Amino acid sequence: MPLSRSVVLICIVSTAVSTACAQAIFSPRASALGAYGPLVQDARGFTANPAGLVGMKDWDFYTSTYAATSSPGGGFVFSGFGIGKKFFGSNALALQYTPGTTLDVIQPSSFIVSGLNFASSREITYTEPLAVAYAYRAADQLSFGLQVRMQTERITDIQFSLRAINDSLNAVVPVQDVSTRTTWFADLGAHWKPLANVSLSALGRGLLRTSGSGIPSSYDSYTLPVERALEIGAAWTVTPSLTVAGEGSTIGRGTFGVEWVPGFNIAARGGLYAGDGGGRFVDAVGLGAGWSYLFLEADASYLLFTDQSVRKGTINISSFDPSGIKDIGISPFTGNTASISIRAILGSMREGLVKIEGVEMTGGIYPSAYQSLAYRPIGKVRVRNTSLRPVQARASFFLDRLMDAPTESQPVSIQPGASADIPMMAVFNDRVRGVPAIVIREGTVSVSAAPEGEEDDHIRTRILIHGRNDWDGSSASLRYFVTPDEPEVIRAAREILLNEKDSLAGVPAEMGPLRRAKVLCDHFKGRLVYVSDPKHLTEFVQYPTETLVSRSGDCTDMTVCFASLLSSVGISTAFVDVVPPAQPEKSHIFFLFDTGLSPKFGDRVSSNPKRYIVRKSKTGQETIWIPIESTAITRGFEEAWTEGAQQYFDDVEIGLGVVQGWVHIVDVY
Amino acid sequence: MKTASIAAALCLAVGANAGEIVVQKLQGDVKVRHGVTEVWVTVAPGDVLRPDDTMKTGKKGSAVIVLPSSAEGSGSTRTFVLPGDVIVDMSDVRALTPEELMLKLTMEKVRASSYQWKSDDLQIPSAAVVHGADRSSDQVMRESDPAAGVLQINGAHVLFANGFYATCALRGMEVFRLYPPLAKQFKSRLMVAEALEKANLRGEAVNEYAAIAKLDGISPGQQTLVHGRIEALRKQ
Repeated sequence: MPLSRSVVLICIVSTAVSTACAQAIFSPRASALGAYGPLVQDARGFTANPAGLVGMKDWDFYTSTYAATSSPGGGFVFSGFGIGKKFFGSNALALQYTPGTTLDVIQPSSFIVSGLNFASSREITYTEPLAVAYAYRAADQLSFGLQVRMQTERITDIQFSLRAINDSLNAVVPVQDVSTRTTWFADLGAHWKPLANVSLSALGRGLLRTSGSGIPSSYDSYTLPVERALEIGAAWTVTPSLTVAGEGSTIGRGTFGVEWVPGFNIAARGGLYAGDGGGRFVDAVGLGAGWSYLFLEADASYLLFTDQSVRKGTINISSFDPSGIKDIGISPFTGNTASISIRAILGSMREGLVKIEGVEMTGGIYPSAYQSLAYRPIGKVRVRNTSLRPVQARASFFLDRLMDAPTESQPVSIQPGASADIPMMAVFNDRVRGVPAIVIREGTVSVSAAPEGEEDDHIRTRILIHGRNDWDGSSASLRYFVTPDEPEVIRAAREILLNEKDSLAGVPAEMGPLRRAKVLCDHFKGRLVYVSDPKHLTEFVQYPTETLVSRSGDCTDMTVCFASLLSSVGISTAFVDVVPPAQPEKSHIFFLFDTGLSPKFGDRVSSNPKRYIVRKSKTGQETIWIPIESTAITRGFEEAWTEGAQQYFDDVEIGLGVVQGWVHIVDVY
Repeated sequence: MKTASIAAALCLAVGANAGEIVVQKLQGDVKVRHGVTEVWVTVAPGDVLRPDDTMKTGKKGSAVIVLPSSAEGSGSTRTFVLPGDVIVDMSDVRALTPEELMLKLTMEKVRASSYQWKSDDLQIPSAAVVHGADRSSDQVMRESDPAAGVLQINGAHVLFANGFYATCALRGMEVFRLYPPLAKQFKSRLMVAEALEKANLRGEAVNEYAAIAKLDGISPGQQTLVHGRIEALRKQ
């Protein structure tokens, strides 16, 4: 019998069961740890705090799958993929596409019309399929991240209506009514490392949002709540292999996580969740493991909820209340979930083993002493071992144009998590001696701990290059102005001696150095003028050739000049640097030269032992040294000797200057 | 001349000014050498000597000088008698602290390694040998006349007798360096060792006694004396 036009509704029965299905957090590492905000360091689960994206090396690709083990028939399904890229050193972009991040609620129902049973259902689907983030490292310890998340709400309702099939027949026809709304959220995060082993994170969720109006008001009860939230987290690296983290949110959610990296490229993780809508304090426990090999990294996790009553895929319809859904990934309806992900790090994928914490330059570069900088540190770089094993770290320094290649230091052993200072050397080329006046240049400090020498970190640092005639005031470095092998110096010394060859003839060989020194000094009697340094920021010293040409200079210039002349004819010299403690402004420098004579011939030098000094020569033999006041050479050798001897006796013997440390004797050659 | 003598007498009567070394009394041949000059000049009572002066007495000469007391600011003085045949540097007539003496001796050792300051420099191995010593003259050099050294050692004995142990030890070592034959004199070496001991530098004293024990030609009695001193010092 055909149905009459007037349809009689006999009975309507709604089932008492809804089906809910939700996927856990996209990244297994994140779901295992729970408190993930302060631990974001790459594209995995970056939505926990995008500021951590600056921890990426270069390219990051990953994909994940999951299985809802609480739901009947749940196998592994595709969850999504992500991609991240770091660029310009301190910027990072990331995108994740997660079609599997859904929460489906199906409300089945049936009714009977005239003895016919009609099945119907209402399906509510919440998804968060897309997120895009940008991160910027504002300082070494501070970074910010901005992300935009897309969220959709879709309500599919099947309604029945009578449709006339012919004049006498009406049929009940199902009509599908779909309502969809897309909402965009903007979140802002920050990541700060106040200490080397402490990370703090903050994320403002839903600070901005924009949504469409595709859902009729009749479905308002199915829309997700819109709440702004602030998530604050902290992570503490207790030991290089153990990190603990905690995170809390203004929407009443708290998490705690531990990550243990015992070595062998594996990691074990655990986490606790509270405030996610279950009836117990701890709603869920996360467990996970990670393993890495070369550029691949695999993570697995299992999220176990303590209250399974509404997480088995079916719930009483009266239990479904979307207002309790704070996060689609972890909601009151999320069931136990197993997740697996694979991550590939491409591009500059090598993990940095060490990181530069700071650079300290010891001072400016004095071109006069540039050769000594090949083995004397110009500064030090503080390097931290960020890896999990001891490393041999090396530092290198490079200054464009003034160096031909970077100069690498000796390796320094650093334990995991520890820091060490590595001295930096610099092999400059001859161009540095052409720097006329003080300049500031920028050099590059690089560190590496890899056997292959790949760079782990680098930093630019400013360095002061003094002018070629600048002197740091240290008598030890004054010797670098002494140039006995300069052709002009050698020629000058030999020409002077040649002119006096007759007076030198017949002198006992042992007395030769003393006589040659006398001839050389006497040659300049009346031919030199004492002139003070030009007004200058630093001490100014002339090279011997400059003094020989200008025939003028101060005590330093003359001391350097005569030390060079004497050294060029094989006579050893030493500087005597006097800085009177009561009057440091009256510091003075003169020199000694080695006669090569044994002390037993002291009478041959002078009947007054105060006129000479017995000290060890380069060969370790005690010999007689003569003090010379270089500025008095303008009055001849004897005067210069007398003044030098008197000064030496007053300052060293009576004043005990050497003993008290205000007189320094520095051997030159 | 008479006026000068009166002035000197007046000066001596009132005493030397604080910090000055004043010649009080002279007998026989006494001369002074100023600073680093090489000339000995006569000296007269009342003359003020500088710390860089050196005084020499002839065989029958002697001198009494007035020194400022070691106690700074006390204004008190003490006399110092130079017998005949001595040379004494005025800079030695002072008491050095054990630390100063120790540092002085240490500096001697530092000199021995004065090139070690270059240890951080790049060490370039040198295979070069200097050939061709200057043989243009075959004159033989004479060693210094030890007579002057003897006078200085005598002066060191005077320093010892007056309690200036530190300068005595330093002066003795310096003389041994300049006049090696004098370093073989047992009496002088013993004086230096005792001076070091009295200056509370026991380690250096032991070393000096040990060096004396190795001297050629010392008698068994002297050996016993030296070893006895070493033992005594080691027990302290």
